[in-house]
Amino acid sequence: MPKIQHYVLFPNHDNGMRLYKELKKLGVRATIAPTPRAASKCCGISLLIEEKDIDTIQACIDEHGIEILKIAAIERDINPKRDRYC
Amino acid sequence: MADYRKMWEDLGMDVEMHDQLCAVLPQAFGDVYLSQENRPEGMDYYNMVVADIHGIRPAELIEHQKKGGKVFGTFCVYVPDEIVFAADAIATGLCGGSQFWVPGGEKVLPKNTCPLIKASVGARLDRTCPFFRIADMYVGETTCDGKKKAWEILGEDVPVHVMDLPQMKRAKDIKAWAEEIAEFKNVVEEFTGNSVTAEKLAESIKLINGKRKALERLYETRKNDTLPISGCDALLISQIAFYDDPGRFTQMTNALCDELEQRIKDGVSVVPAGTKRIMLTGTPLAIPNWKLHNIVETSGGAVVCEEMCTGTRYFENLVDETKTTVEEQITALAERYMNINCACFTPNEGRIDDILRLAKEYKVDGIIDVNLKFCNLYDTEGYLVERALKEAGIPVLGIETDYTDSDAQQLRTRVSAFIEMLNN
Repeated sequence: MPKIQHYVLFPNHDNGMRLYKELKKLGVRATIAPTPRAASKCCGISLLIEEKDIDTIQACIDEHGIEILKIAAIERDINPKRDRYC
Repeated sequence: MADYRKMWEDLGMDVEMHDQLCAVLPQAFGDVYLSQENRPEGMDYYNMVVADIHGIRPAELIEHQKKGGKVFGTFCVYVPDEIVFAADAIATGLCGGSQFWVPGGEKVLPKNTCPLIKASVGARLDRTCPFFRIADMYVGETTCDGKKKAWEILGEDVPVHVMDLPQMKRAKDIKAWAEEIAEFKNVVEEFTGNSVTAEKLAESIKLINGKRKALERLYETRKNDTLPISGCDALLISQIAFYDDPGRFTQMTNALCDELEQRIKDGVSVVPAGTKRIMLTGTPLAIPNWKLHNIVETSGGAVVCEEMCTGTRYFENLVDETKTTVEEQITALAERYMNINCACFTPNEGRIDDILRLAKEYKVDGIIDVNLKFCNLYDTEGYLVERALKEAGIPVLGIETDYTDSDAQQLRTRVSAFIEMLNN
């Protein structure tokens, strides 16, 4: 598992879903996830992507005029045995 | 993603307090869901729903209201959504699965009330749940004493209609439930200004049956030795079923099932062969209560079935679609809903029969009988359930828990020991 994870953040849900669908067409893996707090204080969706795909994804964003806030790199903080639920 | 802030403010929500929930959801979701390997791609839809659970669907409900439609908030699997949708209204689940809402409920309820009720009342009174703010009417039922009193508190500022669920299953009780459904139809018609015709009711019966069939198909995949989806993921889908647009939910769940069935053909499992198959039985696990599933699935087990309201009780048995008059359709609804085996009934042997049947169908190695603290009905029935399981030679572990994290380590120890015992 990489120590750093990359998330695409969006101003709204529609742009997130647009990019997700375009990436699907390209066969680029992106996982829809809640926006990590370390990346932004806002609620809502983000796309968890792989670092190797960033250039392809940026090109896709530019080509389709998809609005994003940023691509955030944050330290991986996932621990299934943390037992901190909400 | 701040574009829902104004919507929440317009709903009169306590946005600052609500933000505390937004702050903890991503980490909990990441720990339980993003930690899993080899998740089905179709889970991305449910990831989206949960990531924006207080944004996307509430916005849709508000749009519906702007067009003159009504929204009914419901708490229980006995409330027939079919009636609501037949009147061009929308039924939605309400908040109640997080410890975040419990202290708000404890301000007005005894502490020895179950966390589901405390969280629901707290979510409403603290103004931190958009669904509670949006619903034009709440629909309660008489499935437990705690809820019966909670309706009186919730009814102080939002109309509440309470359906009187019989507590026995004699013919006259089924008839009484049909009368309750007929009265509910009248209430919904008056509140919405729309008639529930036989045609409209036939459509909504098909709509909700469609959702049940999709969930049944999902659960069918979990019966396989090749387990194509985790219990955590299946639970998330069941939880979302209470909130999502039923037509869209059915479509997305069927699409996921296509993927899962292909996984079975390809031999793709989310757990190693030989992983012990666990069924959970007992009280509902409302979103975002993922604690026990996560503990089981990170302690060497796989949850393959939930005999719960957030599980088989929600989708098993269809409403007869062949009836052509409203009266016949209401009888068909009553018959279907009275087939659900909740611990509020006496006697309730049907639930034990269900558990024994499901244990066979899902090839279960062991059962965890889980009860939310202070749920007297399920806790008491646990004696008969666990005795029947022991007599049938099915290993069972009884657990009482709530929404706090404080017992997680203790649960982890007990669940690990149970699974280790199954392995030996």
